[in-house]
Amino acid sequence: MTEKIYTKEEWIKALSGLKSFYNIFVPVRDGDFHTFKALDEKKIPDFNFQNTRLSPKSLVYPQSERIFAYTLDEDTPDANIIKESEKDYSPKAVVGIRPCDAHAFQIVRPNFDNPEYQDPWWIQRYESTTLVGLGCNAPGSTCFCTSVGGGPFSEKGLDALLYDLGDTFLIKALTEKGEAFLENAQGGKEADDAALKAGEDLAAKAANKIEQKISIDKLKDKVQTELFDAPFWDDVAFACINCGTCTYLCPTCWCFDIQDEVLEKQGDRIRNWDSCMFPLFTLHGSGHNPRAKKVQRVRQRFMHKLKYYVDKYNNGVQCSGCGRCVRNCPANIDIREVCELMNRL
Amino acid sequence: MGIEPGRLHFSWISSAEATKYVDVAREVAKEVKALGPAKHFIKKRAEVA
Amino acid sequence: MLEYVEKIRKTAGKLFEEDKVDVFIGYKKGSLPMMNQPVLISNADQVDLLHWDSNCGLNLCNYLTKRTDRIGIVANGCNSRNIVTHITENQISRDQLYIVGIPCKGMIDHRAVQRAVKQKEILAIEEQGNTFTVKGKDFEDTFNKNDYLQRNCLVCTHRNPVIFDEMVAPPVEEQIEVDTYKDVKQIEGMDPEKKWNFFTRIIDKCIRCYACRNACPLCYCPTCFVDESNPQWVGKSSDPIDTMTFHILRAYHCAGRCTDCGACERVCPVGIPMRQFTKKLNKDAQELFSWEAGLTLDQRPLLDVFQPDDYNDFIR
Ligand code: SF4
Ligand code: SF4
Ligand code: SF4
Ligand code: SF4
Ligand code: SF4
Repeated sequence: MTEKIYTKEEWIKALSGLKSFYNIFVPVRDGDFHTFKALDEKKIPDFNFQNTRLSPKSLVYPQSERIFAYTLDEDTPDANIIKESEKDYSPKAVVGIRPCDAHAFQIVRPNFDNPEYQDPWWIQRYESTTLVGLGCNAPGSTCFCTSVGGGPFSEKGLDALLYDLGDTFLIKALTEKGEAFLENAQGGKEADDAALKAGEDLAAKAANKIEQKISIDKLKDKVQTELFDAPFWDDVAFACINCGTCTYLCPTCWCFDIQDEVLEKQGDRIRNWDSCMFPLFTLHGSGHNPRAKKVQRVRQRFMHKLKYYVDKYNNGVQCSGCGRCVRNCPANIDIREVCELMNRL
Repeated sequence: MGIEPGRLHFSWISSAEATKYVDVAREVAKEVKALGPAKHFIKKRAEVA
Repeated sequence: MLEYVEKIRKTAGKLFEEDKVDVFIGYKKGSLPMMNQPVLISNADQVDLLHWDSNCGLNLCNYLTKRTDRIGIVANGCNSRNIVTHITENQISRDQLYIVGIPCKGMIDHRAVQRAVKQKEILAIEEQGNTFTVKGKDFEDTFNKNDYLQRNCLVCTHRNPVIFDEMVAPPVEEQIEVDTYKDVKQIEGMDPEKKWNFFTRIIDKCIRCYACRNACPLCYCPTCFVDESNPQWVGKSSDPIDTMTFHILRAYHCAGRCTDCGACERVCPVGIPMRQFTKKLNKDAQELFSWEAGLTLDQRPLLDVFQPDDYNDFIR
């Protein structure tokens, strides 16, 4: 696979050139935090960031998307016929995605794309997207990717990986998609052994910088009902305000709700992110709510991520260790602590 | 919040005051009509992906 | 601050020993700097969990709604005003509560501190009275607390609890001559078009996670209007008009009730200054009705009383 080296100026230039092949998304400083935005003349990519506040999952799985549309106008021949909405599946590249967030796409994939069910919109968006990662030279204090099967230079889920060597970027293609991306990129030169060695050293050093180690080894063997009935849930849940912060920011949360919106004769069927933290999430048409209480909802979030997913997919936990929920939970509910409690029970 | 003056009215009407409700509703409708169509805060087709 | 912590722990311990409360609600030190966590303890052995410093920005009154036990709770100025509101709105009764009053010198604006250290990662914070020091991997900075107060605390005129059974310390001096509504006046001066653009811009990052609503003790409706599906009042997508509807209506539902505790603004994951909505209503309540929320148990809430001879002509 191709391995190239770019000076930082060359790299920005290469990205501009790549715009004719891809819609390029890069981290951009937006007020107090970073967000992935489409690269254009006005946006300055900023690769000097910890991670984006919101995860890049929305690029493959938008917060709200129109899936079908219909008309109720009886005068038209296609009245009441539900039609799939057009979507933009043109090639996209996310440049600078952190390894945990790329790993997250791998974690959610079995939900959207498995032998039984295929979500056409997720799959087509995912397949049209090239993920060009940026290794983390200085992981944050809330990062725990190494505990959940990833790492600051993990290649999982990535098509190519960038190493920030100071004045230069080393970039390695990892898949066919990544290979095509590099083929389209102008400039740069073949990486020499020194650069490759520097990259390896960087990766080894970064992994050692992660102090956070959480244990997930015993989760698989636990009995679901015992964890469910564990004595600690009331304490864990007390402070939670049941907002959508943790789940909306999380790259591995995938739940959605489907809503019809009708305006005069125009009908739209829209899929929106939903959150297990909201009471409405489980409200039945009958009025009954099996998770009416806060503690039940908090338990569901952790049980799903750290037990049900583990049992169902045999693919580790449903968490890539990005630390977003830890940093941004207004009530300081910390998944690292809850995971320890569950693993230790 | 940018909703023009005259579009928003507050009144205290008890559930027993049907006639007052009708009067107020008529009055408000008249005033809002006089303002013409609103420019903002109109629900259109959802702006979503 | 440390004296406060000692006193809170002692008081909580005493309350359990004398069997005056079943549970005690306070804060514990969080797992991250500038992030304390509300905690509920149920016996004297747990009192050492209790903590107090300038990072206790969540409103504890939020955790009282419809509880049926006897509760000890710490409350600073704004939290105590929300407790008053909770009592007058029948969400909790006065005799269930033992309120440990905290004279407050304001909460630290964690976003402003992050900005001051250029978004570098803060690993520890330490308070020394009127200053505090933040430390990261390769930096250490000391700031004056008063320069980094939450925006609501900067203009707070009720730092001392308005209701309490016991105080942890003598009252602090109240801030006087603060121009509480300077920002609101500026917005009031805009024409409708400008106002619309202003409010559209401040909420444009909103992801409708509802942390602002859920952090607010006023928002205790069993089903919020945004969650209601029969009838459905608001669309649930990320459509900007639906988002605006949420913000405008949330603010109206807080009219005459908001204590400007700042919890809503503090918790927003994307930093939306949604107090700009509620503050206008607070200002109107004060100017038109001389009303500030939650100051006394002896008056019914502002929008809960009606006089046929009201002097204001917009109420007929
Ligand atoms: S855990 Fe935190 S972020 Fe998640 S719902 Fe509870 S309070 Fe909100
Ligand atoms: S659960 Fe938290 S740490 Fe894990 S992937 Fe989601 S946001 Fe990141
Ligand atoms: S608003 Fe007043 S009482 Fe509340 S935290 Fe700020 S300074 Fe303290
Ligand atoms: S907390 Fe912020 S992002 Fe969440 S709903 Fe409120 S304003 Fe929107
Ligand atoms: S609206 Fe905000 S400032 Fe007002 S009481 Fe609620 S949380 Fe506090």
